[in-house]
Amino acid sequence: MKCEVCLSSLEEYFDGELMSPEADEIASHLVTCSACSEELNSLRATEGLLAQYDREIEISPVLWQQVAAEAFKKSSGRERFNFLAPITAFFATPTFSLATAILILIAVTLGALYLKSNKQKFDKEIAGTAAPSPSPKSNDQDKAQPKPSTLEGAMPERQRSMVAQRTRQTRKSSQSRIDRSDVLSADFGYVDLEDLDTAKHLEQTQNLLRSIRNVRVSELDEEIDVTYDKALSRRLLNENIVLRRDAEMQAKFPTKTLLSDLEPILIDIANLPDQAKPEDVRLIKERVQKTEIVAELLSAGLR
Amino acid sequence: MKRLTVDELNLEGQPGSYAGTLMNSSADLVTRACQGEQDAFRLIFDRYSRPIISFLYDLVNDRALAEELTQETFVRAFRSLNTMRRETKLSTWLFGIAKNVARESLRSRAKMNRQVDIEDQSILDLSDQRPEPVDHLLGKELHEVIRRSLAALDEDRRLVFTLKVFHQCSYEEIATITGFSLAKLKTDLHRARAEMRRRIKPYAGVGYEV
Repeated sequence: MKCEVCLSSLEEYFDGELMSPEADEIASHLVTCSACSEELNSLRATEGLLAQYDREIEISPVLWQQVAAEAFKKSSGRERFNFLAPITAFFATPTFSLATAILILIAVTLGALYLKSNKQKFDKEIAGTAAPSPSPKSNDQDKAQPKPSTLEGAMPERQRSMVAQRTRQTRKSSQSRIDRSDVLSADFGYVDLEDLDTAKHLEQTQNLLRSIRNVRVSELDEEIDVTYDKALSRRLLNENIVLRRDAEMQAKFPTKTLLSDLEPILIDIANLPDQAKPEDVRLIKERVQKTEIVAELLSAGLR
Repeated sequence: MKRLTVDELNLEGQPGSYAGTLMNSSADLVTRACQGEQDAFRLIFDRYSRPIISFLYDLVNDRALAEELTQETFVRAFRSLNTMRRETKLSTWLFGIAKNVARESLRSRAKMNRQVDIEDQSILDLSDQRPEPVDHLLGKELHEVIRRSLAALDEDRRLVFTLKVFHQCSYEEIATITGFSLAKLKTDLHRARAEMRRRIKPYAGVGYEV
């Protein structure tokens, strides 16, 4: 193989994108050619340096809250109808714009006149209801029902029903707000732990343990892939040790106790083989359930 | 179960702060998130937010903007989860959305003349004329050089380079994310690598001729 051919495919070779015969040819050429081999080393050195690039970016806990607020809001009231859009589009058509503007002006004037006359009728109605003529029927009603307070008492039935309807709507809308009590993140609650690192650590551990607790273990499975959980657990364990020591030094005993409780479970997960036996996973799962550590973490977050 | 002591565990070089688990496969998470399970989408976010924010930061070179664009990426992802094809890899799909979000942002920023000027003297100063770096400053300087050099790359090259070098995407995945032909992405990647090599040359270790 000529050096030019080798060099033209060297990056693809380095990236693992070449198939067997071509890759083999380059590999054998590299054994004998010091110039091409030097070029490959240079490529490796550069990538090695680039691998050290640390952007020092942390995922702020607020970011998830913003994403959740935006995503779930839009999904619950999905594709809210924009009332202004058709109006704007209509006015964008030059042929109709002037005629429509005049028509709307007339409609608005008529509407205002109608409302004005209606208001006068309405005021009279209120005046009539505010001073009702005494009758045995009304006395009976007064006895049967507690007297409504001030303004509400002076309202006619129609107005009262409108108020009641509005109250119902308000209640309904407040009930329909997204219930986030069961959302994993409880970052605001962690503020009193006075340590954002600890809060973040506890939240991540909570997520890990939740997923362990919720995993479906079937005896029919030969193995369960826990590579990720294991790696995560090792990292969290490392953090846990440091944070526990910090908490102890700063006499934050509730935090220290909580972190101490977490440690054995994290060690168990970290010790699992990559392809864990269902029995081992089930044991950890039961341990998480029995110790109610997730609830403990949640209450620490909400404290 | 065999137990290792804490000290036996090699904890260095573990993945970033993903809170989630492989026990929930990506396909499973997507299905559950499509059914409205917020916890499932939370796990998707925890698993992919770090690579996505890093990718966006490399593209826009602005921390606050990268955060904002990450938010937009995940909101868009949530809203179009139903349209995701089964055979598509979740990470590839998310990178694709992030790329679109970043491009839109870069376009609007370009209008405001806030693009990084490739002829910016401060960037050119970081090339091979610099004296040999002092050891204890090496790390910090190197990060700064990489950051600036990335910013100085042409947009397409930066996109391809970031996906390959920092996110280890295959050529096929890069082609899916960017929509570039294989020939174009190879050329862009080659040129980006050459440019980056030239800029970080003073920081290469002894014995390597970059």
